[in-house]
Amino acid sequence: MSHRITAWVAIGILLTASKALPHHNMTALFDLNDRVNITGTFTKVDWRNPHIQFFVEAKNDKGQTETWVVEGPPPSFFRSRDIAKTDFEGAIGKMVTVEASRARDHTTSGLLRVLTLPDGKTVSACPQNC
Amino acid sequence: MSTLKIAIRTTTAASCAALLLACTALLLAQDQSPQGEKSKQAKAQNIARTFELNARTITLFNRQGKELRRVGARGMYGAVVLSPDAKRLAVLKADLEKENQDVWVVDLATGASTQITSGQSREFSVSPVWSPDGSQLAYVALRGGSFEICRKASNGQGAEEVLYKLPGIAQPTDWSSDGRFLSISSSDLSGGVLSALPLTGSGERKLIEIFRSPKQMQGGRLSPDGRLLVYFSNETGKNEMYVRRFDPIAGAGDPAGPWQISDQGGLGGGFWRGDGKEVYYLAADRSIAAVTVTTAPAIAFGKPKILFRIPDSIGPTAGDISRDGELMVMTVPPPQLRQLTIFDREGKVVKTVGEPGLFVQPHLSTDGSKIAVMKVDPETSNQDIWTYDVATGAGHAVTHDRWPHNAPVWASDGKSVLYVTTRDSYSSIYRRAWDGTGEEEQLFRYTPGAGMVMTDASADGKFVTFYTGVMVLVPLRPEEKALDRKAIDWLREDYDVVGGRFSPDERLVAYASNETDVNSLEVYVRPFDAGKPDTPPPGKAVQVSKNGASGMINWRQDGKELYYMTRDWEVMSVDVTTSPTLQTGSPKVLFKLPGPLVGNPPQWKNVSGDGQRFVFAMPAR
Repeated sequence: MSHRITAWVAIGILLTASKALPHHNMTALFDLNDRVNITGTFTKVDWRNPHIQFFVEAKNDKGQTETWVVEGPPPSFFRSRDIAKTDFEGAIGKMVTVEASRARDHTTSGLLRVLTLPDGKTVSACPQNC
Repeated sequence: MSTLKIAIRTTTAASCAALLLACTALLLAQDQSPQGEKSKQAKAQNIARTFELNARTITLFNRQGKELRRVGARGMYGAVVLSPDAKRLAVLKADLEKENQDVWVVDLATGASTQITSGQSREFSVSPVWSPDGSQLAYVALRGGSFEICRKASNGQGAEEVLYKLPGIAQPTDWSSDGRFLSISSSDLSGGVLSALPLTGSGERKLIEIFRSPKQMQGGRLSPDGRLLVYFSNETGKNEMYVRRFDPIAGAGDPAGPWQISDQGGLGGGFWRGDGKEVYYLAADRSIAAVTVTTAPAIAFGKPKILFRIPDSIGPTAGDISRDGELMVMTVPPPQLRQLTIFDREGKVVKTVGEPGLFVQPHLSTDGSKIAVMKVDPETSNQDIWTYDVATGAGHAVTHDRWPHNAPVWASDGKSVLYVTTRDSYSSIYRRAWDGTGEEEQLFRYTPGAGMVMTDASADGKFVTFYTGVMVLVPLRPEEKALDRKAIDWLREDYDVVGGRFSPDERLVAYASNETDVNSLEVYVRPFDAGKPDTPPPGKAVQVSKNGASGMINWRQDGKELYYMTRDWEVMSVDVTTSPTLQTGSPKVLFKLPGPLVGNPPQWKNVSGDGQRFVFAMPAR
């Protein structure tokens, strides 16, 4: 659907600041209406543009361990919220809670909405990912 | 009775999110160190620039389109909705400091405003609709990461009541005249849904689906008797306005309609006169169109009649019309018409080119004889690529179709223009002759759904570069077909890299990044090896700018001078030497422009090869 005039307004606003763009269509890959809550061990973070990615090992309903791959906003999003790469690296091996939008293909991957780090610090990816 | 909403209700969740996305780039680290102070200044500059470019004025018009008066001060206003008695309006207002957006109510007689919602930082409210008696407002609020349909008294008193927790994104579009339902619109990849949310009764509320389409739908204003719904949809492949029955009791089982009421495209709106005998919408050419409605013996609609056209000078806007059709309100942005203007190195205007238009991001050919620029056609709202001859002002449409085109870049020989077009799910880079003749050639197609901001093509035509936060290169090997060409993440770091530009000899690449301060860009230069384009050659980047940059990185043709722009709209020059090692001189101010200017400075390639001419799209006087 063409919302050209509206888009133009948005572009005028957006173009006043540089930003990273996703390198794929998030709403095509993830269903924003289908949320999943994951509690598990934070194992790894890839802290790079155009968006970060991290991994959480969690048990499913059958007690089996699954690895969830969670995509987040770009590093600058977190830097501007006073959250550093070290905050994520410090969580490795510890328990975290993730609220994510589930992948449309129902694999164990999701788009970050809210992450709660081991020290209780909450990282919201809204409104971008909500 | 609700009032009649014209135009752009689409400035709701999506554009609000976009606005807040932009705001995120304005955030500030809270330390008080010198670096923290510098960052704070950068944020303040960004906010001031964003406000100056985008702040709107609430303006009242009569039904002939004549301005009556302005209400209150400029603000970051979005959608606006008149109260049923047309004495107040509800308006969305963004707070750039808090990075949020709230609903406000403004008294039209006094200009006094009342804040209705009070979201936290990075929360927002959208899509306000009035209750039939004007005592309440319903809206969607993002609270704690979830969308909720809420209502609150329109005098701002009392608590916010959550009516319904949305599983995803949807928006109320109207409140039925009997007060029993909200009409709800939602669209996603699976199509559009029009629903009703019951407000009466007890127990858990559930949405009642009225209609579902595999196509996109938006809007949904109710007729005064609450039996019909006007909305716009692309179900025929083109945006048009439709009316269908609204019957929450029958739900999706009601077979009546729909009726297409527009005949030359519709951009949105859709609203009813108080007696229900006329319905209005925003036509594709930004005219307000009226369609007569008869309901007996059967529902029927007349041919659209143009009332008036919103002037080009007003530009994109959001608005509403009172139920008696006599009063129109719009949030009017700063003047939109711009004049292509050539400056010399001292900042003196040398020449204006062509007539004023809705221009963004003019680029100069290397020889300085032609301009390529993005231009919006006010008649169709299409965004195309145009070229202009600097000497004569003659213009040529390089593209001329319904797809949005952007990011024009001259091929080094000045005979063709490269540009980006997004068609369906794909963004691609195309090339076409500068005068629009011949067929366009697809050079590269990116990942489905992914955006790109193209900034340069190498002098030998073997590489293009764009950014996504990552600086990406695409080798244009002639033996490869467009769909087989691969993108290379040339500089992918944890900071943003934007605006890459190849030096004329292709041995260096200049770019801007926020490596040292997330709120501020600086210009850097790195070596580039065309024989090994997979990764930058080893070595640290050389920082070129000293106190921040906004973009406009350009090389002089001999590679001995670089240009960029500061956040204060100063055009800077820096001497560059490459022997025995890469070194850059101290930045010097060439001239300062009366900013702010619209567009994306990292994309500006607007300096002639000899460094003597600069082109900008200046506000038309």
